[in-house]
This record gives sequence, structure tokens and C-alpha cells, in this order.
Amino acid sequence: MHARLLIAGGFLWLGLQSYAAAERSLSVTIYNDDLALVQDRRDIDLKGGRQRIEFQDVSAQIRPETASLTAGDISIVEQNFDFDLLTPAKLMEKAVGHEVTIVRVNPATGAETREQAEVLATNGGVVLKIGQRIEVLRDDGLPVRVIFDKVPENLRARPTLSVTVIGAHAGTRPATLSYLTPGLGWRADYVALYDEGNGKIDVQGWVTLSNSSGVTYDNAQTLLVAGSPAQIEGGVRQPMVYRGPQPRATLQQAGTESGDRERLGDYYLYPLADRTTIANLQTKQVSFLDVHGVPAEHGYEFRNRWLGTAETPQSARSIYSFSTSAHAGLGDQLPAGVLRFYLRDKRGDPQFIGESRIDHTPMGSTLSLATGDAFDVKVRAVVEKRTRLSTFDWRSDMRYELSNARPLPVTVKLLQEGLWGDARITAESRKSTRRSAEAAEWTVSVPANGKATVTASFDTRY
Amino acid sequence: MHGASKRRAGLRVGHSRFRAVPALVLAVAIGPNFAPGPAIADAPAAAAVPVAAAAPTAAGVPALAADTVAGSPTALSLTVYRAPERSAGSIDLDRLGGFALISETRTVHLLAGVNRVRFEGVADGIEPASAMVTGLDQGVIEKNREGRVLSPAALVAAAVGRSVTLLRTEKSGKLTRTAGTIRSDAQGGVVFDTAQGVEALRCSGLPETFSFTGVTDLAATPTLSVRVRSSRPVTRTVTLAYLAGGFDWAADYSAGLSADGKSMDLGAWVTLANGNGTGFPDAHTQVVAGRVNRESGEVEPLDRGGPILAQCWPRGSTSDPPQYLQMARAAVQGIGQTRAFKLMMPASAPAPLEEDMVTAAHRVEQETLGDLKLYRVPEETTVAARQSKQVRLLDRSAIPVSFVYGADLAAGEASQTAATALLRTMNTRANHLGLPLPSGRIAVFSLRDGQRLLRHESDLHDLAVDEEVEIGMGESPDVQVVADKDSVAVSNARAAAIQFELRLRLPPGARIVRADHPVGAKNGRPIFRLSIPARKTVTVRYQTRAKVR
Repeated sequence: MHARLLIAGGFLWLGLQSYAAAERSLSVTIYNDDLALVQDRRDIDLKGGRQRIEFQDVSAQIRPETASLTAGDISIVEQNFDFDLLTPAKLMEKAVGHEVTIVRVNPATGAETREQAEVLATNGGVVLKIGQRIEVLRDDGLPVRVIFDKVPENLRARPTLSVTVIGAHAGTRPATLSYLTPGLGWRADYVALYDEGNGKIDVQGWVTLSNSSGVTYDNAQTLLVAGSPAQIEGGVRQPMVYRGPQPRATLQQAGTESGDRERLGDYYLYPLADRTTIANLQTKQVSFLDVHGVPAEHGYEFRNRWLGTAETPQSARSIYSFSTSAHAGLGDQLPAGVLRFYLRDKRGDPQFIGESRIDHTPMGSTLSLATGDAFDVKVRAVVEKRTRLSTFDWRSDMRYELSNARPLPVTVKLLQEGLWGDARITAESRKSTRRSAEAAEWTVSVPANGKATVTASFDTRY
Repeated sequence: MHGASKRRAGLRVGHSRFRAVPALVLAVAIGPNFAPGPAIADAPAAAAVPVAAAAPTAAGVPALAADTVAGSPTALSLTVYRAPERSAGSIDLDRLGGFALISETRTVHLLAGVNRVRFEGVADGIEPASAMVTGLDQGVIEKNREGRVLSPAALVAAAVGRSVTLLRTEKSGKLTRTAGTIRSDAQGGVVFDTAQGVEALRCSGLPETFSFTGVTDLAATPTLSVRVRSSRPVTRTVTLAYLAGGFDWAADYSAGLSADGKSMDLGAWVTLANGNGTGFPDAHTQVVAGRVNRESGEVEPLDRGGPILAQCWPRGSTSDPPQYLQMARAAVQGIGQTRAFKLMMPASAPAPLEEDMVTAAHRVEQETLGDLKLYRVPEETTVAARQSKQVRLLDRSAIPVSFVYGADLAAGEASQTAATALLRTMNTRANHLGLPLPSGRIAVFSLRDGQRLLRHESDLHDLAVDEEVEIGMGESPDVQVVADKDSVAVSNARAAAIQFELRLRLPPGARIVRADHPVGAKNGRPIFRLSIPARKTVTVRYQTRAKVR
């Protein structure tokens, strides 16, 4: 928790013990799932023997158990992560039993009196012993300054990693500190401009990097990894988020092509070509994809979640689909992110028409993304009749009324879900395909400014 | 290749460097009971200690060729989208859940080399990931949105470890200046260090504050900056487009019923609101109807700043002064803070029909945008900060309507309710409509002695052309519906005959086997369409059976 409070913190640099030499080389590897590996290489100057090295400019959210320092010819005694922060209250608490200086100023004369006082207790108020008197600090409301001689050893402005080492000999040597930290993450953001006349899209991809770890990574060599290594429960606070109903699947067909992107195991790697500074609380975007004129299709889809009635017509979803294959598509695998669709209006200005999240998508896949609801294409699903066939068997006669207020014919993919695998279609006005045990699908053409109707009878249990 | 031209951009990041920013000298004074006495006024600025010396340095990266601020925006365009989760009804000025696409043109001057161009004055609610910059020859190396804005707390945070001047006013009114170093600002308390020793800010009971001197590149509002490489000095006109929250719009209809209740006039306004602290002068303004998908998305970290808290050591006495002084927030105001402006704003209630003289030229123009409807405000207009604005959407007259009363009952259950009234028409050209009707709120008025009276207000969904329009008119106590086990009695206390629709909910598998009135079906459910004469009661008897075939 302490770390979160520090997000407001600004630039950090080594303060007291400047072991940071001029030659500091940072490298940051960022995973998708709010995790980063930081490798901090610098020259440290050691005395011989046992000593403590402090690293103040590490991530405020560092997972201290993952920190490791490697350097030539040293042995590590212990590693400490101190998060006792320097605040006025802590300063006073640590002064219990010690002497402080109190300064009073006579309001009338301006004369200053200084006294030495011993702090006796700090429970709900500060009790002082001044000579033989015992007083409560500022109980009379008059100004009293308290001056401390020094800041106690282990109180710091920022959480600090310290390593106690034994160096075999004195001298400067390169050392690498590496640790894992949450607070750094990345995802992809895509901009897709759809050309309605030609059925093509232009797609730009951006890597979006964000840093809320509390420090700035100066001039860091940055590597982005598309993938999230499993983290042990408890290692990082993973908030349980209710994700709502299962979202619509966007991947229609998984691809089987390989690109020339660098891989590590099953992860794709996106190295940034140049070093960059990732400032605290900064959101940074770097381009990684720019493709023009990819064929794309626009269609409609309506899902009836269960065999139920809608009192008012419901809008069908507007769907855009395209391929990521090399010969007829984007020609790249896509890291997970959000794809925003734009369309030109009558004046030729791009306007936003909706966005959709995509998961890591291999090359050669077919994606089908919903951008929103169609204003003019609607479907009303109605249970015409529910008949009890036997104790447990029911028949539902469904009617689907499709309407199209556009001046062009449209094709709607009509899906009846909630079939639980045990529903059978006994009669239907046009042929359906059973997409899965769960869903039946019709492809319905609706004429321009017209209507179409589909009927079907489902036999179900219970 | 199927004609697909493509170019894959490698990841390129420019060299970054702490550059020399245009010096902005700040002296922020904060303190309890702080009064700008003569001592302060006389304080020479030179007494302040520079902070810049402690600026962090990192190894070996060349400086930027230029760090420039893009010119002020021109050719603004603002497209407002509704709150995606709201399917009907009006906007809530306290919680503007919609968003907008903002596009603006700015002039930038680039030098040869790597430039940083800052776009200041973007909307508070900017979603940085959505920002697009076009018009730069060699493209953009990287785009950054700094998450910190200038605030008292951010100023202290940036000064940890640096030299500042402590200003302390004694009770006698004497101001002392002491050079010191801020040691910590952890958890809201400030500890600093002077030649005399270590002290905590505002724990002495004296007015105390810091004076900072030096440079800061913290901006007043979230700022987008772009790093771009240029081979030669050029001046470019670039377009910045981004999505931003804190907007919304809805249609506000007002319908005037004719004296006989058989037709109505319909007028509507587009009501759009901007809850951002940023205004958009002379903007091309559009609104978009239809639901667009939004992904919740990760929230980019943003520190909107705060006051210097100066938490002190334990003190429990009655003489405690306030632990901190609430400062006027230097940070941008949150988008949600719109209550005050709601009170000040003229009510956005449906405007009276007297304003029918709005000429066609001042109405929004509708066009189709994919599967959405786009409404364009015909002239450039200024959408000011925290403002709601109305533009005429449509005016139609003599739309035939019919009043229908109805009740929706579970079959076989005893109940007594007042009937609900509906005003029904079709959205067709023959009815003088036949145009997409975006969702919103509709108020229905009647005339009495030349005075307009509000009959009812209800919500309206998006309605496509040729759809049935049903406007809720509330309950009618004159028409009472009394249901019993197998009968429903509808009584009409009005002076005219009414049309009544009785809909029944049957248990699954059940059906009506006998009834003394003709039974129809609507949406798979039985319906009795009745005509109830004036001051009469009509009773419907029916029998249901739930039987296995």
C-alpha cells in the first residue's frame, strides 16, 4: 500500500550514498500483465569487507523477494527492503527517549528561547520532559518549533532496497540489480480506417506503454513481451474483477502462419529500436504496424440469448471482419489490445464508429469484430407458442422478424443461442446450420427498406 | 499480395534527454493564516535558492533539437457520442457518460533533428491511447502523455532532495527565510532539513511554507507530446484527433397534441453537453446516434494533484489547528464536478413549440455514417467548457396518432390497476415522419385555452424509419382494470369511447381455450383488442388450459 501512495512522487535519484556511477544502463522488459523485469547495470565502488549498498531509485512497487544483485567478487550477506517512510509522525516516534530542541518565540518581544527536551511518549500527543518539568507539546496552542538533530537511520522518503555485501577487495566493478515489479504494462492500440466504397481497411498499430510504478526509467533499453508469464498467487495483488458475461468471440479462425517477428518460447518480442525514457505516470505510444488496403467485410449479426421474446425490436450488431494472413490480410500477428474503427463522413473527415478488444492473434487468423449496434437493422425474436409435449419436453415456436431501414440489402447472421445441446429443430422456414450444440445459425438476406421473417420450432427438455 | 500495399514499421524510439525547458519560475506560497503582508511583498526574488542544480542526469544522450509548443488549435471538429449504456432518456449533467472525438489542426515548427512537440490545452478527459497525429512527413517516433499536472503536492514531490527556501512568519509578523532541503514528502507529511536541524512542515504552529525556484515542465493540464524526427527545419500543419470523456448528448422532443387528440406536432432539440474544462470555439460540431462499442480499457495513470497535506506528529489536544489547509486546487477540476454548473445553467427542458420558426438552415443535417446516424450542426459553433447546448433537430406537424389504453396482466391472478395510456403512431413518410429518431426524452403537451399544459414525459428509444412509435403517457385513473380468476373488467369513466388492449401472460404451455371476446396474438401472447364505450364497463371472460398434448 505504501507504494501506491508514492505514485505522486517525482524524480528519484541516489541521494545519500551515491553508488550510482555515471555509467548506468537500464533495461526494462515489460509483459502484458502488469509486470516488468528491470535490470539495472551500474558500476559500484566498494570498500573491502562488509558494507551496505542502498538503491533508492528502484520501482516503488518492487517485489523485493525477486531482487538480486550480481557483481564480480562479492558475496551477499542479506537484502532488505525498507518501507518505513520518513514522515513527521515517524520522526517524532523514533525520537522517544531522545533529546530534541524546542524553540519558543515570545510574541511580544520576539525573543527566542531554546531548550533541550526529552521525548517521553507520542501516544495521541507528544509528552516532553524539559529539565524537571513534564509538558505536552503545544497543548496551549502557542507556536513551538521542534528541531531534531538527525533523521533516524532507516527512515526514508521512498521505499529503499539495501543489500549488505562482503567485498573481497576494494574497487569499482560493474554490478547488475534485477527485480520484478508491477506498475509497468503495455498493450496494443489499433486504428482502423474503413473504406466503405472499396471494402478495405487501413490499420495502424501502436504499442501503448504505461508506468505507474513510482519512478522514472531514464534512457532504458525497452523490450515488450506479448504474453504474460504465470505469476504465483500472492506474489502480486491481483484484484478480482468481475468481467461480466462472456464476451463475443472475436477470433473466427485461428491462423497458422509464422511471421519474422522475434520470438522467445511462445512469446512474441517487440524490442524498441532506441533507448527511451519511461517517465513516471507517463503513457507512451510507439508505432509497430502500418498496413494499407486490406480487404475487409462488413456484415450484421444478431444473437438471441435464449428462447425468449423481445417486446421491442433489438438492433443487430455491426460486424467488420478481416484476415491477418500474409497474402490477403494484415500480414502480422497482433498483440492483444483495442482496435478502434473509423469511417469517413460525407465531408471526408474520419469519425469514430466503435471499438473492439482483440486477444493475441496469430498470423493468418480471421477476425470478426463488433463495433456497435446498427441503427437501421433490427430483429424482433418472438416465442409464438410454447407447447408442453410431455412431462419434461417442450416445444417453442420461434419467429424472428428482421427489418432493414437502409436503402441497400443487408445480410444478417441470425444466431439462436441457449440450446444447451439437447434442443432439436423440428421445423424451420429456411435451413439453419448448427454452429455448435449451443447455437443454431441462419444467414438471412433482408431487402433494402424491407423485412424478412424466419420461423423455427425447437424441441427442448424442461 | 492481392493489391494490399503494406509497410511494416519497426519500433523506433528517439533519444531522450532532459532538455532545457523554457524557464518558468514558480514561487508558490502556502501556509495557515497566510496573509501577504508587507514583509512578503518586499521579499526580493533573488533570495530564493535555485532548484535546477539538482536535476537528474542520465548518461550520454544528445539533447533534443527543439522542444516546442504546438500553436493554438484551429479548424476544430467535435463529434459527440452518447453514453453507450443508455438506450433511452435524457442526459444527466452530473454524470456525462458519453464521449467525443475531437480533431484539431495546429501549426508546428520543426528543426532538423529530433523534436518534441507539445500539444497543450487538450480536453481533460483525453484518452491518450486514442490520439492520432497526422501531417508529419516522417511520422511520429513516439507519443507521450505526461501523467502529472502542476499542483502543490506535485511541486513538493518534485523538490524532494532539492534546496528550497522556507518562509516562516513569526507571531510578531516578522518573516524569516531559511534555506533548506526537503527530505521527504511521504504519506502527506513533509520533513525538511536546515542548518539548525531536522524539522517538519507546519508542525510548529507558525505559518510556514516553501518557496520554490527553478524550472518545472509540469503543465497545468494533461499534455500530449510527440517526438518527431525531421531532416530539415519545416513548418507543418498537423491534425491531432483523440477521444475524450465528459461529453454526452440526447434528443429532447416536445409533442403538441391537437385538441381532438388525433394528431400531434413534433419538435426536437439536440441537447449536447461538455463537462470538460476545455472549450471548443468555432467548432464543426456533430453528434452521432446509435450505440457504439466501448471497451472499458485500462485506465492510464493520472495524478490530478492535490494540496500539500503536511500531516504532523500525534496531537490530540483541543488547541490543534487544522491539520492541513485546503488550497484552491491548482489541478484541473474533475469532470464529474458539474453540479454547480447545473444550477447555473438554463434548464434544458423541452423548449416550447413557439420556437418553431427555427428555419431549416438552423437545423442539424442528418447523414448516414456506416450503421450510425450522424447529425451535423450546419454552422460552426462554440461549445464552451462546462456548457450544454441545444440545436434544432426536427419540426414536423400533423402527425396522426392514436391513443391506446392497455394493461398487462398475469392470467388467473386477481388485481386492480389503472390502465396505462400510450400514444401510438408509425415512423413513416405518410405520417409526416419517416426519418431516424434518435433516443431521448419526449414531453407531450396539450392546449387549454391557448395555454400549453404538460401531459406526460417519457423516454424514447432509437427508432428507425418505418418502426412503430409508442410514447408512454402514464397511468389513466379514469380507466380501471379489475382482474379476477377468469375475468377482467375494464371501466371507462371518460366522456368518449377508448381503445383498450388487454395482454395476458400465460404460464408456459398454457393457452386460452374459450373467451367471450375475440382473442388475437401480439409477440406470442394473447391480446384482447376492445373498444370501451364512454362511461361503460366491459368484462372479458376467458378460460385457460395447461395440458399435455
